[in-house]
Amino acid sequence: MNSTGVQLRSVEKNFGAVKVIKGVDMDVQRGKFAVFVGPSGCGKSTLLRMIAGLEETSGGSIHIGDRDVTDADPADRGVAMVFQSYALYPHLTVFENMAFSLRLAKRPKAEVKQKVQEAAAILQLTDHLDKKPSHLSGGQRQRVAIGRAIVRAPEVFLFDEPLSNLDAELRVQMRLELARLHQKLGATMIYVTHDQVEAMTLADTIFVLQGGHVQQSGAPLDLYDDPSNRFVAGFIGSPSMNFVEATVEAVTPTGITAQLTGQPDARFDIALTTPPATGTPITLGMRPEHLTITEGTGLRVTVDVAEELGGVSYQHGTLASGEPMIFQQTGARHGMHGTVQTVLPDAQRIFVFDAEGDRIR
Amino acid sequence: MPPVHPLDRPEREAEMSHSNRRNRELRAAALLVAPFVFVFAVFFLYPTYKVVALSFTDAPLIGEGTWVGLENYAKLLGDRLFYTSLWNNFYFVLLTVIPTTVIALMIALSVSKLKGRMQALVLTLFFLPYVLPVSVVTMIWAWMLDFQFGILQPLIAAVTGKAVPVFKNPHWVMPMIAVVTVWWTNGFNVLLLIAGLRNIPEDLYEAAALDGATPWQRFWRVTWPLLWPIISLVLTLQLILQLKLFDQVYLLSNGGPFNQSYVVLMQMYREAFQLNHGGYASAIAMVLFLVIVIVSVLQFQLLRIGGRK
Ligand SMILES: Nc1ncnc2c1ncn2[C@@H]1O[C@H](COP(=O)(O)OP(=O)(O)OP(=O)(O)O)[C@@H](O)[C@H]1O
Ligand SMILES: [Mg+2]
Repeated sequence: MNSTGVQLRSVEKNFGAVKVIKGVDMDVQRGKFAVFVGPSGCGKSTLLRMIAGLEETSGGSIHIGDRDVTDADPADRGVAMVFQSYALYPHLTVFENMAFSLRLAKRPKAEVKQKVQEAAAILQLTDHLDKKPSHLSGGQRQRVAIGRAIVRAPEVFLFDEPLSNLDAELRVQMRLELARLHQKLGATMIYVTHDQVEAMTLADTIFVLQGGHVQQSGAPLDLYDDPSNRFVAGFIGSPSMNFVEATVEAVTPTGITAQLTGQPDARFDIALTTPPATGTPITLGMRPEHLTITEGTGLRVTVDVAEELGGVSYQHGTLASGEPMIFQQTGARHGMHGTVQTVLPDAQRIFVFDAEGDRIR
Repeated sequence: MPPVHPLDRPEREAEMSHSNRRNRELRAAALLVAPFVFVFAVFFLYPTYKVVALSFTDAPLIGEGTWVGLENYAKLLGDRLFYTSLWNNFYFVLLTVIPTTVIALMIALSVSKLKGRMQALVLTLFFLPYVLPVSVVTMIWAWMLDFQFGILQPLIAAVTGKAVPVFKNPHWVMPMIAVVTVWWTNGFNVLLLIAGLRNIPEDLYEAAALDGATPWQRFWRVTWPLLWPIISLVLTLQLILQLKLFDQVYLLSNGGPFNQSYVVLMQMYREAFQLNHGGYASAIAMVLFLVIVIVSVLQFQLLRIGGRK
């Protein structure tokens, strides 16, 4: 059997004259957990719905397992989808909601009962089977929606921001349950989310979508440690990476010396294998946790907002040039609000991007 | 204000302002409902009371009568024309209520498939007849079905072999009035059902499609149960409306031929305004009122039980 769970080849989607998906290739291995992230309106839901068969595909092909399902009906694709709105049938009980697909397929009563009971047991819904969806809490509704998918035993589970209607605490709990569910069922799952933490914790592979393209895909930490462009660097990680303008002052044997625009005394030696020519404008990216306070020279940040989270704090401020800058503090509680701090980045951890936003390595 | 102890001042004030606010709210509420209550009392409550009172007297249309107790009702129970009329009413209900609902549902389902402007246009076309006054509606249909010149006569001739003076034929008259009525009032039902259909979230159909439902199953397992409250509302409104049949009969056939289209309101009209029997006409009105209440409550209960299953 093919080890590919879901395979997309130059998939495109147009709504009338508007191109929303402009040629997406992706491979999700069988049994893996893939997550789509990207800014609002970038086409995550559209792509998911195309895999489900709820939107027609304008170009390219979609394979599930080794079947070409590009033009197959939703029901014939072997996928189940969990909607953001849950889409539970309000007139049916929890049991009947979960049994719906089996009833349509005219399965024997005993089998229906057994499968629904099994799914209900996994999701701790056994006590609620006789209730209508309107009598359930948000988290329980969410579980029913997942249960409806489980009962169908699909090859691929699709989730469109399934947790976004839940409160923070429940979201954490459901996130863990989803991870467990994935381990237990071993099915391929594709998950759309806005939430950094959900993406980082659940995913085997993250696909970062923007402007109708996959910007980068890979394991969560790979994207974090080695983003291939400025967009991905800024999108993955919370709070997001700081970007400052700079120019290449000199090319050294190991890399470059970068001079920050408007900060004469801030220059860093950065190791690069393909250094750009002297004088090239570049952008430097530094994560908040790689900036440390120093007594010497460095970047002078005027702190205007301090987010104290207990264990860590995030100091938001601006450079003299007006560029925003966030740095992280661990353990200490300084009350830096209103002060000017000098921070120094870990030169090993500075990312360099060219004017187009592509990573220079 | 008399001096108060500083300690209980805030409490007292809170209490005062609370009762003040209640008073103000009550006054505003009274003021707002007053016009309606006034109109309701003068144009509905009082006439209703008058009809009830009149039905126990032998009063003419204008002027006082004398108390006759239940005599009008007793007479009505022995009135053969009343039973004919009542029967015709039920026959008409049979011909209109369910057919019009089914037709409206089919129209609503197809119109809801259309998009944007087109949907609005088609909906307007179906709604247009509802806007017309009954006299215009009956005029149009009287023309179209005219024995000699009506453009629909060739159609009738094609089916039956000869032209039929439909409003003068005892078999044709009620079904034809039913056709006219359905054509006239259907748009409103379509509108109600469209509103109901729009209330069903699209993602339920998507979920059903993923669950493997055919279009037929999607209708019976999603649309029908979720639309049922609106359908039963339409059925009930139609039942009440069609039991009050008068205008179309009066204008198209005047109750004829051989009383085949004579209905209860027709009889009431004749007793009151042509024979000057105000008391007797009031009794007819009362009985019709009771019939409508009983039948519609019965139907509504039946529909609710049907919906819950
Ligand atoms: N039926 C449609 N007709 C026309 N344009 C559409 C349609 N559905 C989506 N779009 C457009 O496609 C783009 C992508 O929409 P999509 O819903 O996939 O975004 P998304 O990434 O899921 O955003 P979000 O994170 O806010 O849910 C949007 O710009 C939207 O306006
Ligand atoms: Mg979306």
